[in-house]
Amino acid sequence: MDYSRLVKQLAHSNPLRHAPMNRRDALKGIGATAAAAGMASMMPPSAQAARELTMLTWDGYVDTRVLDTFTDRHKTNVKYELHTSDPDSVNKLRAGQTNIWDIINLNNPWAREIMWPENLIVELPRERFDPYFEKMLPMFKPPYKWAMSQDEAHLLGVCQRVDTFDFVVNTDKISADMGKDQGWDLFNDPKMKGKYGILAYDNWNIMHMCLGAGLHPFKEKTDDQVAKFEKTARAWINGAKVISDDFNALNLAILNGEIDAYFSGGTYSVSAARMEGENQLYHVAPKSGAADGKGAINWIELNSAVNNPDFHPAAFDWLEFILQPDVCYYVGTAGGFLLPIGQLSDPEVLAKFSKEELNAFQWDEFDYRIESAVEYDVVPDYNKLYDIYTAALRDKS
Amino acid sequence: MTTRVPASPFRLSAGAKCAIPLGLLFLVAFVAPLSIVLGFSFLPERTFGFTGELTLENYEHFFTEGYYGTFLWTFGLAFAATCCCLVISYPVAYGLARVFGGWAAIITLIFVFPIFVSENLRLVGWTLVLLKGGGVLAYTINMLTGFETGTLLYGPGSILLGLTYVYLPFMIFPMTLGISMVPKEQVEAASDLGANRLQIWREVELPIAMPGILIGVLLTFVLAVGAIAEAKILGGQSIVPIAHSIQHEFTYAQNWPLGSAISVLAIVLVGIMVFFVLSRVDLDRLLGGR
Repeated sequence: MDYSRLVKQLAHSNPLRHAPMNRRDALKGIGATAAAAGMASMMPPSAQAARELTMLTWDGYVDTRVLDTFTDRHKTNVKYELHTSDPDSVNKLRAGQTNIWDIINLNNPWAREIMWPENLIVELPRERFDPYFEKMLPMFKPPYKWAMSQDEAHLLGVCQRVDTFDFVVNTDKISADMGKDQGWDLFNDPKMKGKYGILAYDNWNIMHMCLGAGLHPFKEKTDDQVAKFEKTARAWINGAKVISDDFNALNLAILNGEIDAYFSGGTYSVSAARMEGENQLYHVAPKSGAADGKGAINWIELNSAVNNPDFHPAAFDWLEFILQPDVCYYVGTAGGFLLPIGQLSDPEVLAKFSKEELNAFQWDEFDYRIESAVEYDVVPDYNKLYDIYTAALRDKS
Repeated sequence: MTTRVPASPFRLSAGAKCAIPLGLLFLVAFVAPLSIVLGFSFLPERTFGFTGELTLENYEHFFTEGYYGTFLWTFGLAFAATCCCLVISYPVAYGLARVFGGWAAIITLIFVFPIFVSENLRLVGWTLVLLKGGGVLAYTINMLTGFETGTLLYGPGSILLGLTYVYLPFMIFPMTLGISMVPKEQVEAASDLGANRLQIWREVELPIAMPGILIGVLLTFVLAVGAIAEAKILGGQSIVPIAHSIQHEFTYAQNWPLGSAISVLAIVLVGIMVFFVLSRVDLDRLLGGR
């Protein structure tokens, strides 16, 4: 019996890749994991030796085109689990799962401020990876802040998907210019009560509620500022017609006239619908705001190699593989999500995207969005603000 | 000559020996994880190992931070959904056990088939039915009558609809089993002795079918208490159920001890209700033991 193939099938049936999951999906996953573990122990030693590359990631790297191409080129299977949130996955590594995972893909601050100081990831050879940064969009010119350790001596990962994450409007109801001018005050306007939704990406909601309260999300807050945050959080949550962690549900609510706008959102949440011709769904990055005068928030994903005691020989190969032009295109269009990638400065990569695909992620406004944005960072008062946020959600009931 | 070896007081019976594998599985797969959850619930907030000093602060947090509202809504909706399932299921179960004859198998399949489809998918299907404007129901009503229904989503009513729809089969089948246990001869005897239809139902059929009905009630209620997708997909998070609060604490908040404390309280509350109901059910009788 071909055990390695069976194990691969079981691993690929991991329901965690299809968030949100329900109880039944979780039970199926537990069953598959148990079966895979059992089968693995029955495998001959030669089959166990070539272990799979394991990856904790966001959804850009689980497209079958990406995974299968890597397997074909490097003769290594890839197993993955999708994140629930950045801190959740960092805590998995902190809890000892560095011996499980080989690659981790997280937003801006985690590598530099948490994982490298805590010895959870390894340094990348600069001579191998710096040339790739040279070819990327100007914002990534090496040494790129978020890819480097705080002392700027160590390269911690490679970047690819990038954009801002702000809010979405239906341009048939609210013009893009009005959204940009009004910024986060759009949701402070009493006339908007019951006309907007919230995409429940909790950490992003908290940052955006800070901006709505006139506060810098990435600076420590005084008690008065925390009180301001609470007032805004409660008003926004109580004023929301729908709160969902499924952006398709919110896009559908806009298209059916249930709501006119939602936050948090952006090209990440609307590009697939725009690709289908629903161009009235529009990512708005505010022109200005409370974060050093900026109102948008810029995220980048950094791919790093985990400090696994049994370091996978193909870990750096993976990080180089995802920067190849054909794979860049796969990542930029992975799973129906269309997103800007740092490699779009390379004409060979840009040529792979159609006009419709570029329009889907509003490429014409990309520079404006980045200029209007503060860079995503750790929220210093996160625990305190999160407790307020969840209490407001419960009290809405 | 033969000598009889006296039975050792520590010798296990055949039944006990057979139960060892299941007992071990129960210890590893059920008792151990629950013990970990219980242990975490007494640790300081936002700790990830069993190293902190024991504290009751998570339970205190539960009572001071308004989680009881979440419990009230969750248990209230679960209770309402159980009542709805009970009312809808009784005639169906009665029909399956007594009336439909050869059609019973086909009707059973109709109720079973949806279970093969992911719960999330089925609820998204309901979203498409209930949506304002382009929703199937709103559009049809508007087309036929010119009347604008407004939104039918994002409230307790749509959550109740989702719970009732999803958990209906868990009520129907135990109830059908219970009703099928009622001997026809006993019904006929009651009728011959002059009981009217209502008396037969109240004093013969219902008491005999009650274990099946109670099992259905229990299954539906417990599953509905742990439900999360209905409030998320149909309710637009207008209500945050217990399971969602626990998920919040274990994921974004990374506050495992508080999540554990909420879990422990939910388990204790549901456990009390289950023991209360089970103490009134004769499983032997339900399963035809006597």
